[in-house]
Amino acid sequence: MTSVAQHEIDHRPPTLSPVTPRRSRTIKSAQRRAVTLLTAPGLIWYAVFMVIPAASIFVFSLLDWPGLLAPATFAGFSNYAEMVADPVFWTAVLNTLIELGVDLAVMIPVSFMLGYYLTLKRPGHRILRVLFFTPALLSLSARALVFFGVLAPNGLVNGIFSLIGLGDLSTPWLANPDTSLAVVMIVDLWGGIGFTAILFAARLASVSPEIYEAAELDGATSWRKMWSVAMPVIRGFVGIVTMLQFAWILFGSATTVLLLTRGGPGSTSTTLSFMVYNEAFVQSNIGYSQAIGVVLFIFGLLGMLAINRSIRQRY
Amino acid sequence: MAYRTRHKPKALVVVADSLVWLYGLIILIPVYYLIVTSLKTNTEIFSAPAALPTHAALDNFINAANFASLPQALINSSVITIGAELVTLGLAIPAAYGLSRTDGKIGAALERVFSAGFLIPAFAALVPTVILAVNLNLFYNPIFLVIFYPATQLPLSVVLLTQYMRSIPKELEESSMMDGANRWTVLWRIYTPLIVPGLVSVALLNFLTFWNEYLFSLSILGTDTAVRTVQVAVPALIGQQTTNYGILAAGCIISIIPVLVVYLLLQRQMENALVAGALKG
Repeated sequence: MTSVAQHEIDHRPPTLSPVTPRRSRTIKSAQRRAVTLLTAPGLIWYAVFMVIPAASIFVFSLLDWPGLLAPATFAGFSNYAEMVADPVFWTAVLNTLIELGVDLAVMIPVSFMLGYYLTLKRPGHRILRVLFFTPALLSLSARALVFFGVLAPNGLVNGIFSLIGLGDLSTPWLANPDTSLAVVMIVDLWGGIGFTAILFAARLASVSPEIYEAAELDGATSWRKMWSVAMPVIRGFVGIVTMLQFAWILFGSATTVLLLTRGGPGSTSTTLSFMVYNEAFVQSNIGYSQAIGVVLFIFGLLGMLAINRSIRQRY
Repeated sequence: MAYRTRHKPKALVVVADSLVWLYGLIILIPVYYLIVTSLKTNTEIFSAPAALPTHAALDNFINAANFASLPQALINSSVITIGAELVTLGLAIPAAYGLSRTDGKIGAALERVFSAGFLIPAFAALVPTVILAVNLNLFYNPIFLVIFYPATQLPLSVVLLTQYMRSIPKELEESSMMDGANRWTVLWRIYTPLIVPGLVSVALLNFLTFWNEYLFSLSILGTDTAVRTVQVAVPALIGQQTTNYGILAAGCIISIIPVLVVYLLLQRQMENALVAGALKG
């Protein structure tokens, strides 16, 4: 990309260029200075308010820091030792893995099929598109509050159950240790599937129709076309979307869990990102919170890289 | 392909139609419930959760606004969102212009830095950011969010704007500079007007992110009614013992209205912005 652009400048026919080669050089060095000057404020801003804070979690994780306004002392790796011995941490690890595993395993195939369906332009596809898009407009907190009502002890779900004679299935969804984590996953799925489908539809719209026509001549059904033609063609894109959702779910669950269950009952719905928040601001154990934060950050990074590597375009 | 199936619907297509619309219904039901709940009392909600309201009373909306000081929260959210938006664009437009006009190694390296921004999720910086606010004496101060929020959206804004700016021919810049315009004039008078559609996309994306942000705003501004944002104010309607679900739903709807208005006005741009944002980030 870069070399092509330079190539063009250096070999431009003199008749087309209003500048002589000598002047071109001075423009180039002036240009370099201008780029630096124009880009520097944004870069510095980003470094000061994002990169440095994010990097400092590694330092904070080595401190004993009992609260925002309390003095911090060096503690070595004791926070990590505490973490390994903390059963809540291991519950959070397991819950996070379950949340990610179930969410992605449901969300990606379902969204892909819905996205493919949208590209067929069946009657009503415009209405569906708006419907699918709606949850993406809501904040994480609004999504959580919507389900706070729907799943309340006297809310919609239990109301419908008693209406159709299944009152025995009624349960306080948010306060039941067997359903609390499922509730978090339901909110993730409700909020994520529709928008992910729109993303797939956007990508599938640019797939050349000839590819499908060839498959049709071979007598392929819609189902076969979807999985054996469309899926391999956009495989790399599926990887990118999976990676994005992985990160959104992993870090977004702090808000959902905080508003719906506060990690409870017990620690049945505690996820890693919620634990980072909870240890820092509720338990006032900042060093410990940041040790978990380091694990979360590294897990997030490795997870994204692993997904990117394993779901690649095959040709 | 699509046309043929329309003329000869096979069993599989009918099944697909039904399943897709069933999913549409699953999305719609909670939204429907939010709206009907906002017009009912707790007694009405508990006795018939799914039923339509018997009368359209706006009491819940008035109560929600009063109990959670929503007018103040809406003002706070607006000021923070607009302020952060201006800072973001003020930093991102020149940066994107600089990056789009360079062929050098430095430019390419800088662009990679911004492109890699998605690898650092804002959440990772939550606790250090709160500590930074405390040390800058800006804890509980909305100004901190105006300064901080742009950092979360800068990489994406710069990357997207750089792409839009690249599509403007270089000759335009050269001829303007020949006419005696300086770089600053070229940027704001010639380039910026030309990328308005792209700029709208980026601005919408930032608006949605800033308006909807919850965790940083809760941790840094807290729940004091004078400074809290609308995202923090609405959950305050959840009661310690019992919750008035009608009032909570009404508050929730009030917090969504600004986004809804922008969406209705700029539906296409909003959808394109969100798709572009997800894929370029």
